[in-house]
Amino acid sequence: MADKYTLCLPALRIRQGKHYIYCFGVDGKRIHDFTTVSRVRREDDHLQGYQRPEVLSHINAIRRYLESDGAMLPNAVVLAFDERVKFKVSKTATLVDYTTVGELIIPIDEALPENDKPAWLVDGQQRSAAIRDAELAEFPIAAVGFIADGQDHQRSQFILVNNTKPLPKGLIHELLPDTAGHLPARYARRQLPTRIMARLNNEVTTQSDIDSPFRGLISTPTVPDGYIKDNSVLKMIENSLYEGALYQYRDPRDGSGDEEAMLLHLKIFWGLVKATFPEAWSLPPRKSRLSHGVGIQALGYVMDHLTDGIPARELPTLDLGKPLARLKSVCAWTSGVWEFGNGESRRWNGLQNTPSDVRLLSNHLLRSIR
Amino acid sequence: MKFYFPDSQDLVSPTYDFLHDEYSPLRVRQRDDLYAHEVLSRPPYDGILVSKAIVDGSVRGAGKYTAPQRARLHRLGVRKFFRLPRGVETLGDNGAFNYVEERIPPVTVRETLDFYQECGFDAGVSVDHVIFGYDPDATPETVDTEWAERRLLTLRLAAEFIEAVDAGNSTIQPVGAAQGWSPDSYADSVRQLQSMGYRRIALGGMVPLKTPDIIRCLEKIAEVRRPETQLHLLGITRIESMEEFARLGIASFDSTSAFRQSFMDDRRNYHSPETDYVAVRVPQVEGNSTLKRNILGGVVSQRDAIRTERECLRRLRRYDSGDCPLESVLDALSQYEAITKSEKTYLDAYRRTLEATPWKACSCALCREHGIEIIIFRGTERNKRRGFHNLSVLFKKMKKLTLCSTNGSRRG
Repeated sequence: MADKYTLCLPALRIRQGKHYIYCFGVDGKRIHDFTTVSRVRREDDHLQGYQRPEVLSHINAIRRYLESDGAMLPNAVVLAFDERVKFKVSKTATLVDYTTVGELIIPIDEALPENDKPAWLVDGQQRSAAIRDAELAEFPIAAVGFIADGQDHQRSQFILVNNTKPLPKGLIHELLPDTAGHLPARYARRQLPTRIMARLNNEVTTQSDIDSPFRGLISTPTVPDGYIKDNSVLKMIENSLYEGALYQYRDPRDGSGDEEAMLLHLKIFWGLVKATFPEAWSLPPRKSRLSHGVGIQALGYVMDHLTDGIPARELPTLDLGKPLARLKSVCAWTSGVWEFGNGESRRWNGLQNTPSDVRLLSNHLLRSIR
Repeated sequence: MKFYFPDSQDLVSPTYDFLHDEYSPLRVRQRDDLYAHEVLSRPPYDGILVSKAIVDGSVRGAGKYTAPQRARLHRLGVRKFFRLPRGVETLGDNGAFNYVEERIPPVTVRETLDFYQECGFDAGVSVDHVIFGYDPDATPETVDTEWAERRLLTLRLAAEFIEAVDAGNSTIQPVGAAQGWSPDSYADSVRQLQSMGYRRIALGGMVPLKTPDIIRCLEKIAEVRRPETQLHLLGITRIESMEEFARLGIASFDSTSAFRQSFMDDRRNYHSPETDYVAVRVPQVEGNSTLKRNILGGVVSQRDAIRTERECLRRLRRYDSGDCPLESVLDALSQYEAITKSEKTYLDAYRRTLEATPWKACSCALCREHGIEIIIFRGTERNKRRGFHNLSVLFKKMKKLTLCSTNGSRRG
C-alpha cells in the first residue's frame, strides 16, 4: 500500500448561505487515515484542539451494537476539512440549484503526524472509534464535511453540534415497552419495568389488564390525565424487581421475567391498597400523599416485606387485608399529622419525595405492621 | 480449627464477559451475583462473620449495604440472604474497628442483640471497644487510663449482653469479647467473661500484634481457660502459627487477608499450596487514573494505550493455549508498563509467574473455568475471583494441618 495517494469519494455539495457542506459516504474503517481526533491540549498557554478523550464504555456499547445483526448507523459524522481537500464538480445541472453532484478529493499521506491530517472530526468521535475497533471488514457511514476557516470556526461548530437536548425521560419510558432489537445498557435494563408499568396503566389494548388498580392513573405523554407520576411507579417496580418480591419471577441468567406473574402480584397487592384507602387513592399527589412518590415507594417496601418469596397464586391465602387495615390508624395521607414516634411528627403534606422521607415513611409503615 | 470469612459484600458476577470486559446490562447486584461458597465446588470457609458496621454503617462511612439490601437481610435472615449451604455457620459482630476513634461505642447492647436476632445468627459477639496499643508490662494502675477504661467498658457491656441473651430466651450463642493490652490483662478479661457464663470468647484488638506477642497472650490465657471454653481470634490468619494457636485453645479465627492480598498486596497476589505469585498487571485504560490523566493531558496517545492493552491480553491468552512464546508476552507487558508509566517494573516477577503456570496446576473451579484470566490483575471481577481462589488454598492448607483442636461443648 502506497503511503501517499488520493481518496476520491462521490459527494453532494449543498449551499447554505455563504458556506458549502459536502455529504458523502465513507468506509468508517478508513476515517482515521485522513482524520485527526483533536484533544484538548495546552501548548504555550493556548488551547489546542477541542475534543474529549474517547469514553471507552460508550465506545464499547456502540461497538457491540455494530457487531450485532442488522446494525444501522444513520446519523452522519461531521468533519472539518482544511483547504487541501478539494471538490470537483462532475455534473453541473441538477434539479435544484443549491445541490451539486461531484467528488471530494482527499489527499492521504500516511507519514503525516496526527496533527497535520487534512480533516478534523467535529462530531462522531465515539462512533468512528467504535467502527475502528469493531470486528468488521468494512462499515460505510454517512459523513458531512465543511471547509473551515481555522480552528475557532471548528470549535464553534463542535459546540453547536454537541449541544443537543437528550430525549425527555417520559417519552423514552413510553417507547421502551414496544421497542425491539438492540438497546443501550441503561435502557435494556428498564425495558421490563416499563412494560409492566404500561400494562398496569392499561395503555395496551388488551382486556387482560382491565382489573389493574393503576388503570389510567399513571401520567405519561399519552395518558396526560393520569396523576401518579410514572417515575414513582417505575421506581417501586424496579426496587421490587431487584430487591423485593418481584425478584422471584426473574431469571438471573438472562434477566428475563415472568410478566404475567409479576402483574398478578402487583394487581393483588395494590388492589388491596386501593380498597383500604379508597379516598386517598383517588386524589392527586397535591391532595394525597398516597398517590405521591413518597407513598407509592413506601408501600412498595411494605409489599416486599409482606410478600417476598410468596408466589402470586398464593397471595390470597395471606390475608393481606389485615396488616393493611392496621395501617389505617397510623396514616395521614390526606389530612392531619404523621406521628413517627420519638416525638417526630410532620403535617400530612410535609413529606417530600426524597430518599430520607421515603425511608422515614417506609420504616414507620413497617413498624406498624410488624 | 474453624475459619470464618468476614463479609464485605464480596461477590462475583457469573454473567461477566471477560473478552469485552463488561457486565450484562440486566445484572442485579448481589442477587444475581455469587459468593465464594457458591462459585467454588465446596465452601472455602466454615462460617461467615458479618459486622453490624458493614451492614448498617457506623461512624466511619455508610457501610457496604444499600438500604434495600439491608432491609432484605433483615427480612430473609442471614442464611437466606447469603444463600448459605448447610454446614456454613454464621457469626455476628459489631465491627469495633469502625468506631475505634470514638470515646464510647456508638451502639447499644440492645441494638446489637436485635441485629443478631433479626438476622438469625448462630452466634454473636458482645459489644466491645478496641484498645489500640500493647504494653506487656503495664498494670491496670500504671497503664494509660483510657486503655484501662476501654477494657472495663468491654467487660461491662459483655455482662449486659449475656444478661439480655438469657432474659430474652434468645437462641443466639453469646460470644464474649475480650480486650487487653498485655498477656495479664487479656487473661483477666477471659477469666471474668468465663465467670459471667461465657463458653465462647473472641479475642479482639490483636491484629497489630506481632505473632510472638499473640503467643505470649495465649499462653497466659491458657492458664485461666476452662477446658470447655472456645477461643476465637478476631482478624488474624498467620497460617504458620496455626498449630501453635490450636494447641493454646484457639478453636476458630477470621481474616480477610488471603482474599485481600489478591488485589492489595504488591507481590503476593496468587497463592498456591507451596508459594505465592505476583499477578500480571494489565490495568484497564478506563480504570487507571494516572493513565487517564496522561491521556487527557495529551501526554499519552489513547489509541496506543488501547492497542497495547489489547495486545497484552491477546498474547496472555495465546500463551495460555501454547500459541505465543513467553518473551513476546513479556515484551507486550513491558510496553504497557512504559505507557502506564508504572513506577516500578514487575517483569521478572511476571516471568516467574508465567513460567510456573500455577493456575494450570490448581483444581479449584475458578482456575478450571478461567485459566490465565485468574492471574491477570485487572478489574474487580478478576481480582475477586483470584481472592476466592486464595481462600480455597488457605482453607485446604488449614485442613491439612493435623490440628489437635480442643473440643468444647456448645452452650444452649
